[in-house]
Amino acid sequence: MNEQVEQGVPPESQRLSRDALMHQVRQIGQVFLALVAIYAVFYALSEPFRNVNTLFTIMTQASILAILACGTTVVLISGGLDLSVGSIFAVVGVVVGIMLINFELPVWLAIVIGLATGAFCGFLNGMVQVFSGVPAFIVTLGGLTAYKGIAELLGSGQDLSRFPDSFRMLGTGFVMPISIMFASALIIGIFLRMTRLGNHAYAIGGNEEVARLSGVAVARSRVIYYTIGGFMAATAAIVEVSKLNFAQSSRGQSYELFAIAAVVIGGTSLFGGRGGVGKTIIGMMIMQTIIVGLAYLGVGTSVQRIAIGVIIILAVFLDMRNRPKR
Amino acid sequence: MSHDVPVCKIMMNNARSEPGHVFEALGVTKRFGGVVAVDNVDLRLKTGEVLAVVGDNGAGKSTLIKAITGALSRDEGQLYFDGQAVQIDSPTAAKSAGIETVYQDLALVNELTVTKNIFLGREIVRDDFLGRVFGFLDFRRMDNEVRALFGKLNIRITDIYREAEAFSGGQRQAVALSKTVMFGKRVAILDEPTAALGVRESQMAMDLVTSLKDHGLSVIMITHNMQHVLHYCDRVMVLRLGRHIATRNVSEVDGDSLVALITGANEPQAAQA
Ligand SMILES: Nc1ncnc2c1ncn2[C@@H]1O[C@H](COP(=O)(O)OP(=O)(O)OP(=O)(O)O)[C@@H](O)[C@H]1O
Ligand SMILES: [Mg+2]
Repeated sequence: MNEQVEQGVPPESQRLSRDALMHQVRQIGQVFLALVAIYAVFYALSEPFRNVNTLFTIMTQASILAILACGTTVVLISGGLDLSVGSIFAVVGVVVGIMLINFELPVWLAIVIGLATGAFCGFLNGMVQVFSGVPAFIVTLGGLTAYKGIAELLGSGQDLSRFPDSFRMLGTGFVMPISIMFASALIIGIFLRMTRLGNHAYAIGGNEEVARLSGVAVARSRVIYYTIGGFMAATAAIVEVSKLNFAQSSRGQSYELFAIAAVVIGGTSLFGGRGGVGKTIIGMMIMQTIIVGLAYLGVGTSVQRIAIGVIIILAVFLDMRNRPKR
Repeated sequence: MSHDVPVCKIMMNNARSEPGHVFEALGVTKRFGGVVAVDNVDLRLKTGEVLAVVGDNGAGKSTLIKAITGALSRDEGQLYFDGQAVQIDSPTAAKSAGIETVYQDLALVNELTVTKNIFLGREIVRDDFLGRVFGFLDFRRMDNEVRALFGKLNIRITDIYREAEAFSGGQRQAVALSKTVMFGKRVAILDEPTAALGVRESQMAMDLVTSLKDHGLSVIMITHNMQHVLHYCDRVMVLRLGRHIATRNVSEVDGDSLVALITGANEPQAAQA
């Protein structure tokens, strides 16, 4: 810092900027506290929660959806929406299965083809939207059924199971899935916070017209965000196929909704412009903790669904209330 | 309203670039469906002047600005820089030609910090591998440049890490105006820079506008404030219902005659102008 800078800035500025930083920390801290509180409740109510393995079980269960939700976070921050990622997930699972079983391709090549397939599906979502002008909701709703159909066509009547050990390594146990989850969050987090394109997601989601007038390549950026969404869905699919040791076109059903739920519970705005991937991971942990906790308490899946539904609405309600009005 | 338009068009289309002007937009027309929002307007900006653009609500001021800065596509109109015809068909093209614009209600993204707003679309990337290949941003450098700029312009915004929505209308306007100083090379265009500001904040904003001139920019300023026109501007251009009614030296007009031009009180005379 040179002297000119010192002069232009009154002393209180340092304190204020730390306040702004603290604001960010406080926001993510709030969500984290909510997670701890929920965990504590189940800890008190249910014996198995006192075993540390339960924590790892929850993280492992959260990991696949959390990886997918990292992509959803980017799309939602940019003011977009992708309802088709669950179906992209199914397509990629089947494609990877076919590559490994029918074509007996090397594991790395099957993975690369799987990732490329997912990215291409996302890319297509973005391109169709940008060039047709049809709203994201409709385009990706179409994608949801269309990709599902493709997955069924590709996977019908095939037994895609019993994969090579080197592939199974990716999803088995808890070390790999959890590591891939954190690695995904780290990479997407750095992308969003540190890069030009990542920052443009916040700008476009905040005010698309201002971004356009400022010279941001809105259409091109959007296509890239959807491509990232497809890529992360593919990553999640590969981990799941590896974990289950079979691939089926029925997988991935409703995953897009769970991902959106986790993003929103974490505190990323459904209306675009704010949020982060760290919050999404915590949001997904909250959701899984509740699901696992209720299951341990003997509560059925139907009631679990009701609980998650109520929490989603509550999360959006809090998001809208905390938002400064302008 | 429309009976004399064809005549007008033939007359105005012969408008030619004149020397002494940094920027000219001639024969600009913009239609929204059947509505002619801007009708064959000639705008001429002299080098180093502050040109006011006035007119009632809906007169087409904002539309004119958008149509000549690439924010909206024009139906007709040719732009000149220093007498040379230029092609400006996108906001980016306008910026690289040296025009900085603060659009009405579209100046800042609420969710972005002050620094990110100022550098939006023109971020500085790091001068290394990460910057060049992945577009990693050089936040430290951008923050320092913003601090230096605010120091130079006497803008008392201390927390440049805070989101734009946390600031008052006057502070937001100051941020938006400082952007034109940072990047404006030739021309600054400001759409109602004092709209919704209090007396003191208006004063602050107008001081900034004056300093734009000191920084070597020629300024086009839309305003509804006749006081500001008379105090701070060199010439004034009047629009009414999308038509260019008159352009006058500020020294030749007063508040009453401007209002008459804006409202069309001296209709027969004004229509010939
Ligand atoms: N995007 C649009 N679509 C259709 N009509 C529009 C659009 N933008 C502006 N108009 C119309 O063009 C005319 C001029 O509007 P404009 O915003 O340029 O007026 P203005 O002089 O800037 O007014 P104000 O002083 O209220 O800002 C109005 O009749 C308006 O309704
Ligand atoms: Mg206007």
